[in-house]
Amino acid sequence: MSVPRRVLVPAAAAAAALVTLASLAVLAGASPLDALGALARGSLGSRAAIGETLLRSTGIVLTAAGACLALRTGVLNIGLEGQFLAGAAAAAAVGPAAAGMPLVARAAILLAAALAGALWVLPAALLAAKRNVPEVLSTILLNLIAATAVGGLVRGALRDPAGDYPQSRALPDALRLEPLFSGGRATAAVLVAFLAAAVLALLIAATPLGLKLRAVGLAPAAARAIGLADGRLKLLAFAGSGALAGLAGGLEVLGVTGRLYDPFAAGVGYTGLAAALLGQAQPVASAFAGLFFAALGAGSSAMQRDTGVPAALAALVPGVLVLAVLAARARAGRRGS
Amino acid sequence: MSGVSGHGSSGSEGSPSTQPSRKSPTPALELRRVSKSFGETRALSEANLFVLPGEIHALLGENGAGKSTLVSIAAGRLAADSGEIFRAGVGVRFARARDARDAGLALVPQHDLLVGAASVADNLALLDRNAPLVESARARRARVARLAETFGLDLGRADDRVDTLPVGTRQRIEIAGALAGEPDVLILDEPTAVLSPDETAALFAALRKQADAGAAIVLITHRLAEVFAGADRLTLLARGSTVKQCLISETAAAEIGGLLIAGSGTEDKEKEKIFLEGEESGEPAEGRRGVTRGPDATRPSQNAARSAAESTDKNLEVRNFRPAGTPPKQELLSFSLSPGDLLVLLAIDGNGADAIASAVAGLTPFTGEVRVGGDALPSSGDPLAFRAAGGAFVPADRREEGLVLDLDLAENLALPDPPGRFLLDRAAMQTRALERIVAFAVRAPSPSTRAGALSGGNQQKLVLARELARSPRLVVAIHPTRGLDLAASAAVRARLAEACAAGASALVVTSDPDEAFDYRGGVRVVTRGALSAAVAGGTPPAALGRLMAGLGA
Repeated sequence: MSVPRRVLVPAAAAAAALVTLASLAVLAGASPLDALGALARGSLGSRAAIGETLLRSTGIVLTAAGACLALRTGVLNIGLEGQFLAGAAAAAAVGPAAAGMPLVARAAILLAAALAGALWVLPAALLAAKRNVPEVLSTILLNLIAATAVGGLVRGALRDPAGDYPQSRALPDALRLEPLFSGGRATAAVLVAFLAAAVLALLIAATPLGLKLRAVGLAPAAARAIGLADGRLKLLAFAGSGALAGLAGGLEVLGVTGRLYDPFAAGVGYTGLAAALLGQAQPVASAFAGLFFAALGAGSSAMQRDTGVPAALAALVPGVLVLAVLAARARAGRRGS
Repeated sequence: MSGVSGHGSSGSEGSPSTQPSRKSPTPALELRRVSKSFGETRALSEANLFVLPGEIHALLGENGAGKSTLVSIAAGRLAADSGEIFRAGVGVRFARARDARDAGLALVPQHDLLVGAASVADNLALLDRNAPLVESARARRARVARLAETFGLDLGRADDRVDTLPVGTRQRIEIAGALAGEPDVLILDEPTAVLSPDETAALFAALRKQADAGAAIVLITHRLAEVFAGADRLTLLARGSTVKQCLISETAAAEIGGLLIAGSGTEDKEKEKIFLEGEESGEPAEGRRGVTRGPDATRPSQNAARSAAESTDKNLEVRNFRPAGTPPKQELLSFSLSPGDLLVLLAIDGNGADAIASAVAGLTPFTGEVRVGGDALPSSGDPLAFRAAGGAFVPADRREEGLVLDLDLAENLALPDPPGRFLLDRAAMQTRALERIVAFAVRAPSPSTRAGALSGGNQQKLVLARELARSPRLVVAIHPTRGLDLAASAAVRARLAEACAAGASALVVTSDPDEAFDYRGGVRVVTRGALSAAVAGGTPPAALGRLMAGLGA
C-alpha cells in the first residue's frame, strides 16, 4: 500500500519478466533455472557479456529518450525505427568521405545522422499540423519507406563497389570508436546515450521549455488558450525525438557496424518505444528499462546456445511487460477517477 | 411558471426540517455522517443529507463546500471514506455508478458526459436505462421527440452530432436521458446554469411533475431565486459539513443568502477584503448601474494616473466582424471599447455570444477586422497574436481550456512564460504563486497543489490570477462566474472592475440576466449573432427575457 510507485513498478516488471521467461523455458522443454542462469551469464557474466549488453543498450536507450520527449508533449512518434535508419544511412553516406581530425569528423557524422532523423519525421509532423493526419499512421508508414530505402541505397547509390555484398562503403578505421574496456565491444557511444537521457530528463523536468512541452502534452486545448505556441512546441518535440533516434542510428554505424547493410535496424526503434512505455515516459527510468531489454537480448543468445531455448522467446518479454504496465496503468487510472 | 409555484404540495407537510422523524415518510435517500478526503484536501466531514419522496430538495453551498462530492458519493461515482447511505431506509453501498442507477438513482453531472461524435438520438438511447438492446434508428429518433415533448425540453434535432450543439442543449439531453429512466431519486448538479429563464421554468415544471409522481429530486444550484420559487426544502453545506436543513416555506431567502455568502470561518476576512477592494476600485454601485450610454461612447478613463494619450486609444475595435462558421447572412458587427469600458454580452446559450468572444480572443477564425490596442489580429485566429497585443482570456471551460489540471498551481501561474534562463527559477515561481494565491484568495494547501485538486471556484480564481497579472489592455471573459457561488462571483466581478479601473477594457459573456448588470458596465443582448442597443439597468426582467428570446423589448 505504502510502497512507492517508482519502486513497485520496476520490481513488478522484473518479476513479471522472469516469470514469463521461466514459463517459456518450460514450454521449450528446458529447466527454467538453467535457462535463467544462462541468460544471466550471457548478459552479465563476463566482460564480453557486459560489453554486449552495453553495446545493445545504446540504440534502445537513445530511441527510448526520443519516445519520452514525444510522449510527454502529446506526440505519438511510432516512427523511431525509420528515423534510426535515416540516421544510419546519413552516417554511412557522409562517413567514408569524412576527413580531418577524428573528433571533428565524428561530430560531423553524428550531426548528419541526427539531422537525417529529424528530417525523416518532418513529413509526419507537417501532415499532423496542417492536415490532421494521425502521426501514429504516418510515422509507421515512414518506417516501411525507410526500410525499403535502405535496401535501395545499399544496392544503388551507397553500394561499396569493392565488395560482393549489397552494403555501403566502410568508414575509415580512424573514425571508428574504440572499445570502452578491453574484452568487451561496448564503446563510448553508450555513455552518450545515457548522458542524452539524463539531459533530456533535466530538460523536461526543470527548464522553462520543458514546462511548456509538458503543458502541451497534458492539456493541448488549455496550452493553446493560455498562449503557448503549441504548434511550434509539437514540431520541436517531433524533430527532437527524430534527432535522438537518428543519433542512435549514427552511433550504430560509427561504433558497431562501420557501414550500412540490409536489413539494418531489426527493431531497435520499437524496443526503444517499449522501454519508454515501461519507464512511463520518464527518460532516466526508460533508459534503465532499455538497459534491461538490452541485457535480455544479449543473454538470450547464450540461453539458446546452452539450453536450446530459442532466443526469439526472450524477444517476447518486452511486449509482455508493456502490456502488463499499460493494463496496470489503466486500472490505476480508473480507480483514481 | 406553473410548476415553480407549487412548492409545499407534497412531502413537506409537518415534516421536521432537520432529522427524518417517525412522523415523516422514510427518506428516499439519506446520507449520514459522510466524510471524504482527496489527498490533503478534506472535501466532506460528517455531512448529512436526507431527501423525502415527492419533494424537490435544494442542495446549497459555496464553491468547494462539497456539494458535488456528496452527490457523487450518493450516485456511486465516488466511494466515501466513512459514513452510511440509506436508500428507502435500507443501508446500501454502491460499488459503481451502475449499481446506483439500478437502485433507481440518477445523477445529471455538472459537466455532461455525452458522446460527442454520436447523434442526439444515439446518446439518448445510451442514457435511457429502459432502452432495449437492439433498437431501430426510427425508434431512437422517436425517443428524442417523445422526451422533448414529455419534459418540454429543446433537445436539438435527432440526427445532430452532439459535439456541434451548444452546451445548454447538451445539458438538456443529459437531463432528458436521466428522466427517461423514471428514477426514484434524481440528482441534478447545477442544471439551470446553462438554461434560459423559460427553459428553467419548463425544467422546474417537469421536475415538479416527477416529484408529484413520487420521485425525490435533489437540485444543486447557486440561484436562490430558483430555490425559493421551486423547491420544498433545502440543505446548506459549508466546508464539507451540513450547517442548515430547513423547509423553504419556513425560511427567509435573505437568511440563506447571508449564510451562503458568509460561507465559513477562516475565509471571511479575505472575502471582506475582496469586497472592499471591489468597492474602492469601481465607481459606487448605483453610479454606474443603469448606464444607457453605449460602449461605443468614448469616456475618459476612470484612473487619473493614466496619461491622456493612452486613454484616447481604443483597447478593442471590431469592424464588419463575423465569427467563422456563422450563417453568411448574419449581421456584421462593429463595436469598440475604450480604456475603462466593460461590455457585457448577455445571451441565451447558442445565440453566438461565445463565438464572438472566442473569435475576438483569437481562438477561432473570423471575417472582418479586430484590433486590440491598435494591433490588427490575423483573421485566421491566433491566440498568441491576441496576447502579444495585450489581450487576456478567461475561457468558458476552465478545466479544459483555462488550466493544465495535472500541473501544480505555481506551474500554472508561470505559464505561458516560465521564469528562468536555463533552469526554471522555482524560487521565483513559488514566490509569485504565493503572492497571487493570497491576492486572489485562492483556497489551496500550497503552491505545489495540483490545479485539478481545487474546487471550481478556486480554479476560476486561479485563472483570473494568471490572466490579470499580465496587466492586460483587454480581458475577454466567457461565463466567468458560471458555477461559482455568490462570494466567488462577486470576487470575479470585482477583479474585472479593478482591471478596468486601471485602464483595461473587458468583454464579458454571461447568460444570467440577474448578473449582467452587476458588472456595472454596458449591457447588450446577443440574439442569433446580432447585438442589441445598450440595455438600461432598470429594464424589467420580463422585458429582458423577451429581448434575450429574440421577441423584441
